[in-house]
Amino acid sequence: MTYNELQILLVEDNMSDAMLTIRALKKHNLANNLVHLYDGAQALDFLFGKGEYEGRNLAEKPKVIFLDLKMPKVDGLEVLRHLKADDRTKLIPVVMMTSSKEEKDIVESHRLGVNSYIVKPVGFDNFSKTVADLGMYWLLVNQTPRE
Amino acid sequence: MKKNNDGHPISKNGESIMTALELSEEALEAKDEEKNEIAVKLATAVKELSFQITEKEKRADELLKINEELAYQIREKEKRTLELEEVNNELEAFSYSVSHDLRAPLRAISGFSEVLAGDYIEQMDGEAKILFSEIIRNARKMGELIDNLLEFSRLSKQDIFRGTIDMKEIVENIVADQVKLEPKRKIDISIQELPKVEGDKNMLKQLIFNLVSNAFKYTGKKENVNIEIGSYSLNAEQVFYVKDNGAGFDPRYYDKLFGVFQRLHSSMEFEGTGVGLAIVQKIATKHGGEVWAEGKVGEGACFYFSLPLKIKKANYDI
Repeated sequence: MTYNELQILLVEDNMSDAMLTIRALKKHNLANNLVHLYDGAQALDFLFGKGEYEGRNLAEKPKVIFLDLKMPKVDGLEVLRHLKADDRTKLIPVVMMTSSKEEKDIVESHRLGVNSYIVKPVGFDNFSKTVADLGMYWLLVNQTPRE
Repeated sequence: MKKNNDGHPISKNGESIMTALELSEEALEAKDEEKNEIAVKLATAVKELSFQITEKEKRADELLKINEELAYQIREKEKRTLELEEVNNELEAFSYSVSHDLRAPLRAISGFSEVLAGDYIEQMDGEAKILFSEIIRNARKMGELIDNLLEFSRLSKQDIFRGTIDMKEIVENIVADQVKLEPKRKIDISIQELPKVEGDKNMLKQLIFNLVSNAFKYTGKKENVNIEIGSYSLNAEQVFYVKDNGAGFDPRYYDKLFGVFQRLHSSMEFEGTGVGLAIVQKIATKHGGEVWAEGKVGEGACFYFSLPLKIKKANYDI
């Protein structure tokens, strides 16, 4: 896949969650142009063209980032902080996905400028619906400002 | 100087000097006695003083010791506080980790089971379908358990946001929601006059929800269901109650009623996690109130909670 059509960037270290998320998006035909990265460090390399993504055309931006909060090395909050602090990436919508309703995570995410915050439900029906709704909203409904 | 006949000099007023001398001797003796008395008194006073001084020194020593003891206790308390803070942080990290790490595999179990049950249902026979629904049901149940447990532990660190709460409004909304969930059931619900109280709206909502949903749940197997919600004032407190004619409980196990993860009914009879009433109790105590209940097996139960008319500051740490 070329990153020209890149629509969703999924950053998720848990393979099961990633599979379930991709499956839910696929059901609604939203996973055709999806890139899955496995941790925050990789995500930052990808978005800023460093490391293994040295030389990537940075003009090709995802329409939305699904970002897991708790990841090894660089966690979701750290990635969010970098994204929202950089002019090149601060307009990309970020959906924070987490397992818990921890108040301090929710507050911190919003302080850093997250666009949506979802708690991954245990029931798959809910999970699938939530993911699909968010994919639909950020890909189809939302109009991102032109730069 | 004139002399009288026995040769003693004579004083002006005619008394002999001898007499005067004898008299002054007597006076001297008297004075000596007085002196002795004073000396004795002085000696006693001195003794008393030195006793008091030793006493004072003893007291001072004792005070010093008490001071040292106090300082020691303060140091110990500070140490304990630090230890408790550490334990508290550990517990918080624990519940944080529980909420993240325990839910993730659970989500995978229930997620993939549901995917299988959804997409491959055609390839399963009746038995397989039943087995699968059991996996899904249990995964959900575990999810609920974790959520309830977290809810319960979160309550401990939560502060009370005080405000004036319209209990009637809260009760009516919650009852209406419950009725919507089970539209087919015929339940006679009576909501008495309920006053406004001082308290934390979200917490009191949760408390009422737990009691009302319990009343709905435990009357599920009865016909002619009556649920009554009311209030009365008692001393400086307002008492609220939720009364039903459902399954009731065995009063012999009363002391388990409000315990965490304690249940007086099997999940075959009534589903549940055993956290609801523990939350009720915690919220009431946080407000400075109490909870209690009356019940009989098969005849229903009545749950009471009291709220002080004016809630005191800082009942947070319970």
